[in-house]
Amino acid sequence: MSGVVSPGGFREAAPAAVLAELAPFNSLSPEVRRKLAERARLDDFLPGQSILDVGQSAHTLCAVVEGAIDAEVPSKGPIPAIVVILGPGDFFGFECFLPHPSQRTSRARAMTNARILSLDGGDANAALMLAAPQTRAALAKEGTVSRRLLDALDNAQSAMSASGASVPKRRTATQNSMNKLGNALTSPRLYLALIGFAIFFSLWQLSVDTMRLPRFKELPTLVSVVKEWFSTNPDYGLSIFVGEYYRHILISLERVGLAFFLATGLGVPLGLSLGWSKRFREYVFPLFEILRPVPILAWVPLAIIMLPSDESAVIFLTFIAAFFATTLNTMLGVQSIDTSYIRAAYCLGATHAQVFRHVIVPGALPFIFTGLQIAVGIAWFSLVAAEMVSGQFGLGYVINTAYTKIQYPVIVIGMVTLGFVGYSSSALVRYVGRRLMAWRERELALNRVC
Amino acid sequence: MTIAKSRTLIPQKTRRAITAIVVSVILWEIGSRSLSWLGVAIPGISAVPPPSAVANAFLGVVVEKSYWYSWYLSTLRVLGGFLVAMLLGIPLGIMLAINRTFNGIVFPVFEVLRPIPPLAWVPLAIIFWPTQGLSIGFVTFLGAFFTIVINVLDGARSIDGRFYSAAQSMGASRWQVFRRVILPATIPSITVGAVVGMGITWEVVVAAEMISGSGSSMGRAGGGLGFFIWSSYLGGSYEQIIVGMISIGVAGYLCSSAVRMLSEASTPWLKRR
Repeated sequence: MSGVVSPGGFREAAPAAVLAELAPFNSLSPEVRRKLAERARLDDFLPGQSILDVGQSAHTLCAVVEGAIDAEVPSKGPIPAIVVILGPGDFFGFECFLPHPSQRTSRARAMTNARILSLDGGDANAALMLAAPQTRAALAKEGTVSRRLLDALDNAQSAMSASGASVPKRRTATQNSMNKLGNALTSPRLYLALIGFAIFFSLWQLSVDTMRLPRFKELPTLVSVVKEWFSTNPDYGLSIFVGEYYRHILISLERVGLAFFLATGLGVPLGLSLGWSKRFREYVFPLFEILRPVPILAWVPLAIIMLPSDESAVIFLTFIAAFFATTLNTMLGVQSIDTSYIRAAYCLGATHAQVFRHVIVPGALPFIFTGLQIAVGIAWFSLVAAEMVSGQFGLGYVINTAYTKIQYPVIVIGMVTLGFVGYSSSALVRYVGRRLMAWRERELALNRVC
Repeated sequence: MTIAKSRTLIPQKTRRAITAIVVSVILWEIGSRSLSWLGVAIPGISAVPPPSAVANAFLGVVVEKSYWYSWYLSTLRVLGGFLVAMLLGIPLGIMLAINRTFNGIVFPVFEVLRPIPPLAWVPLAIIFWPTQGLSIGFVTFLGAFFTIVINVLDGARSIDGRFYSAAQSMGASRWQVFRRVILPATIPSITVGAVVGMGITWEVVVAAEMISGSGSSMGRAGGGLGFFIWSSYLGGSYEQIIVGMISIGVAGYLCSSAVRMLSEASTPWLKRR
């Protein structure tokens, strides 16, 4: 007996029957599936018909049962549009996994006659969590479709944690890190990186030590550097077991930290005022632009003359480098704000102070953090130069005195330490920036989810 | 009143800029002469030579051959380091973007070396390279190199994948994809990298000359503009320090403008927007 035929030309079917064949839900227990099917529905669409559109409320997870559809995430700012063609077994409409009942950020249209299963987002989420963790492993093997679904869940969770909402735990931290470790071990990246370092180190060792190529033989050997660095009784008095080493690091860090905070404290307000007031900008910015092309290091002698001690000269040089980057980026940040936001705020009766507090400052924040990130890099750059030219202690000083005292391995120790400390401080600023701008991260995550 | 204002030859913006500059030069003059004029030394500024003395020193230096030789030396090092950085950095950046295995091997090493400030390389460069000029040139090269590679890599990576697919499905060869898709799409980021790199190059050359420089046969100011400043400081002629600072500022500004103009000329399609 043939069943009733729908307008789309598909046979009549119940959601429960469809669920029983649809991965990953087919691996759930029949009891869970029955619950899921209670609030699920099947719809048929004609070619060209819209299934969902941007801005509609998003509380369902959809799956293609039959036919083909095309889904599009419209471009947003610098993020280009994504268009995918989905077929039977593919899921879409992952916005439903987001914390607050959100809106669709993608649109989907039927390309052929299509049958779509819609599940309640909360139900689907709960069902998948119930299935964890054994089913998860099975799901991951199913292929890209299920993996996309799981990725979407993970993304939604990270978006939730970024926005501060409480997240139901699905995996323990250890499971998570084991998973990451497993991924790292199976991907070729780790091995390729090891090959890269092996080539680099063997080239160093071969050219400097083994073959003693002309010019290269003057450089410190790999073995001498490593020996010195990890020796409990170093020849030149600097290794990881010597307090002096940490003292140099600490002093450099202190200088960069002080200069960075000064630059932030002065540069951000100055940049905000430069961007905010046209008159102030027209008076002050030309002076700023005259001073800016002068390289920081050209300030060295003047700083030594002007300031009472070498120490303050070093900090001044580090400060001024970071200051220009912070101020300029803050100003650009204010200027980048869409003026219609400012006008809208005034129209709604906001005072100057309110516009400043609620429009200007948050609007400029992404640029300010870009500026701070650049500022940390430049601060280290000029700190090294300042310490090499003048000043006592610090990593730049270590490198320079190692050179003049012909303790060549120490030069490399100083360089590597500088690279490491510099990188860590940039990473710290980046991390703080991401935390403070969780709202922006969440917006980007929303785009990733779909 | 308003009409009269708008009829003035110089726009308000320029007038304000000139006012600000004139006022600050006058303040600087008063500040540096505060001890003799006011009887009270303003800390910091009173140690700086006044602008009138700087202008005087500038007139004295302009006619000296060694001053212009410093210009020549510094510019030579900057352009040399910059050009080599472009020649090596652009192919490396593109290779890193299009070949996954190459990227996997080279990029981690690159990322470990990148955070080391270019100036920390100065001692090793002096040990390695036979002449001072070459070692300064090498450090200058490093300053621009990392920035250029990263910019090219980002640019080539951010190309919309559909462009490749479209080119390939229309039968383009690998070379054609490279020539017609990757290269033009990367030029804007190459130019951004070049502008930033040029700025860093001038910073680095000055520092490298100060740290390592020594006078050449041309006399006191033969080691480049950075050394010109340093030797002026050691010699106690503080006016010349400021002359040197201004010279470097002008030189850096001219080079950056030149690079920017070349960039705009090489990406005419960006101007139309």
